[in-house]
Amino acid sequence: MLTLRNIRKSFGAIVAVESLSLEIRAGEIFGLLGPNGAGKSTTISIATGLVSPSSGEVDLLSLGSPAQPSVRRHLGLAPQEITLYGGLTARENLLFFASLYGVPHATARADELLCLVELDTRASSRVSTFSGGMKRRLNLAAALVHDPQLLLLDEPTAGVDPQSRNRILELVRVLAAQGKTIVYTTHYMEEAAKVCHRVGIVDHGRLLDIGTPRELIARHGGLSVVVVVQDGVEVRIETSDPAGEVARQLSSGSVHGVRVEQPDLESVFLKLTGRSLRE
Amino acid sequence: MNAMFAIAWKDLRLMFRDKGEMFFTFVFPMLLATFFGFIFAGGSDGGSKIDLALVVEGNSTLAQGIAQDLLADEAFEVTRVAERTLAEDLVRAGKVTAAIILPASMRDGAAGIFSGGGIPIEAIVDPSRRAEVGLIQGKLNELAFRQFPKMFTNPESMAQLMAGARASVAEATDLSPTQKLAAGALIAAGGAFSSSLQGAPQTSTDTTEPGSATGNWSPVSIKVEELAARKGGPRDSFDVSFPQGIVWGLAGCVMAFATSLVSERVRGTLDRLRLAPITRGQILAGKGVACFITALLVQLVLLALTVFAFGSHVQQPAHLLLAFVAAAFAFSGIAMLIAGACRTEAQAQGAGRGALLLLAIIGGGSLPLFLMPPLFKTLSMASPFRWAVSAIEGPFWRDTPFAEQVVPLCILLAIGVLGLLIGVRATHATTR
Repeated sequence: MLTLRNIRKSFGAIVAVESLSLEIRAGEIFGLLGPNGAGKSTTISIATGLVSPSSGEVDLLSLGSPAQPSVRRHLGLAPQEITLYGGLTARENLLFFASLYGVPHATARADELLCLVELDTRASSRVSTFSGGMKRRLNLAAALVHDPQLLLLDEPTAGVDPQSRNRILELVRVLAAQGKTIVYTTHYMEEAAKVCHRVGIVDHGRLLDIGTPRELIARHGGLSVVVVVQDGVEVRIETSDPAGEVARQLSSGSVHGVRVEQPDLESVFLKLTGRSLRE
Repeated sequence: MNAMFAIAWKDLRLMFRDKGEMFFTFVFPMLLATFFGFIFAGGSDGGSKIDLALVVEGNSTLAQGIAQDLLADEAFEVTRVAERTLAEDLVRAGKVTAAIILPASMRDGAAGIFSGGGIPIEAIVDPSRRAEVGLIQGKLNELAFRQFPKMFTNPESMAQLMAGARASVAEATDLSPTQKLAAGALIAAGGAFSSSLQGAPQTSTDTTEPGSATGNWSPVSIKVEELAARKGGPRDSFDVSFPQGIVWGLAGCVMAFATSLVSERVRGTLDRLRLAPITRGQILAGKGVACFITALLVQLVLLALTVFAFGSHVQQPAHLLLAFVAAAFAFSGIAMLIAGACRTEAQAQGAGRGALLLLAIIGGGSLPLFLMPPLFKTLSMASPFRWAVSAIEGPFWRDTPFAEQVVPLCILLAIGVLGLLIGVRATHATTR
């Protein structure tokens, strides 16, 4: 579906992306994870053709580079920023973007998408009056207006409440079920673990590893941790057999509490990218 | 093409829904134009010299005397021209406030005062400068009165006057012999009084009020004619203040669209537009078309206001429309230039608006060009607003020949082309 081959992008002395290669498969939800400044948004911009790589190649649907207007019409982008016009209504925004793509029966398409993102009752309200979650959902709808095969979602749940986040995740699953290929960037590891079929972790512009969440956890997550509370003190025990360890601790009789911490995508992320703070 | 118009339509809708932009683009210029219209109708501050064209058609001593005094008067900047038509052209072009004609019928001697309705002086004035007409009339009266001592103390002139009077009395058929006798005695007494003045020092009459102690009779006959009004043109100060309003309307329009393009770039909507299967040229053209339409609309709205509310009359409608189109094109280019030059909304709002404000002020937005000191008149050449005002005033109320309108029109077109080229190039560089 989308192939990035040996991409490099530098802005003066700053290298944003280095030797990055990716193959996004048709129909999958691919998560691109990385700390701030890791190069995720630059990678997305290169994938859309908005930014030209310093070197390397991008191919969409074997049609060539998305820098060509005829190729990039097959992709939709919901950028990290809310890229809507506050002075227009929800429907007018969708109709405007539909007009840029020459979408037939644009009004019907706009109404269909407003229903999908549950904004049909606010179709005639100006976007400036919307909450953050409503704007995020409409931002997603605007990316879908021309029914693209590839959807790029750059942090689509940033700054929204849990209800809106949950609704957006449901939408992503629905779209994937409809056959859309989705590239999804996020800071929220549990989101990626929930919805992504495969995940790539990037840092300092490089792809550190790629695989299903389970594969990445198996490769980098490390051992499970059994946390035992004895006399008010927590003791952390790393083990490859957490069930056996819990049984052993409980049989000793002096334990006041036990819990098991399984490795997850967050532990993989921290292991691969480190714990130092990023600007 | 559809995408371009979709962008233009979207921008127009956003513009018309933004109360702030609407106020600064449409309402504020109308308020300013109306305000300045009333201000200029009220009077001049007299702070700068009044430009006059002077035509001396006769060669009488009286005419030469008035001309000399007029040239020496500090209230006026007088240009002598050979013919009445040339003087009228200067008025029509707005280069002088009035043309003063000292006609061939102006005769030497006191006879000129007492026969034929007084010393004839013609003033052909720019109708938009009515505020200064009163001052010009007063000054002309004063200058004419200054000539009186010369006439009354000139024995030759007085002798001619007395001889003429005696002849008139003798030829009169409606006077009885007694009346003729009385009139002859009166004339003889006048002659004796005139003779007694010979050798007496000439006193200035500078302080004489025109027409004072003479009832309704005035020895000076100043005929004021409004040049443009005679040609069915504009009538008053609103004709000057509305081009000023247009200056501010164009400034508001430019700022609205320049800021909108910068905002699109900063907020990411421009990227969303670029993602659509349209070229960057189509996006920018869409923006330019929206700016052009709004600029045209601003001018038409202001024109409608001045025509329907204040009764102005357009001298050359087709040429005025051409001027509107040229101005709209020029300022669309300037909007692109500012949008391309400014990286952030703050830059556009601050530096962009500041620069535009300055250009609008020196370009005639606050003070009409004719009231500006010479240095500012020269500076105004650098302002696109000045050329817009010139291009609009010509066909609007000055009724200048099209050949004279070509220069500002060409300059506006050049500004538009340059602005578009530089702006589009800069926008490309910032969105790469």
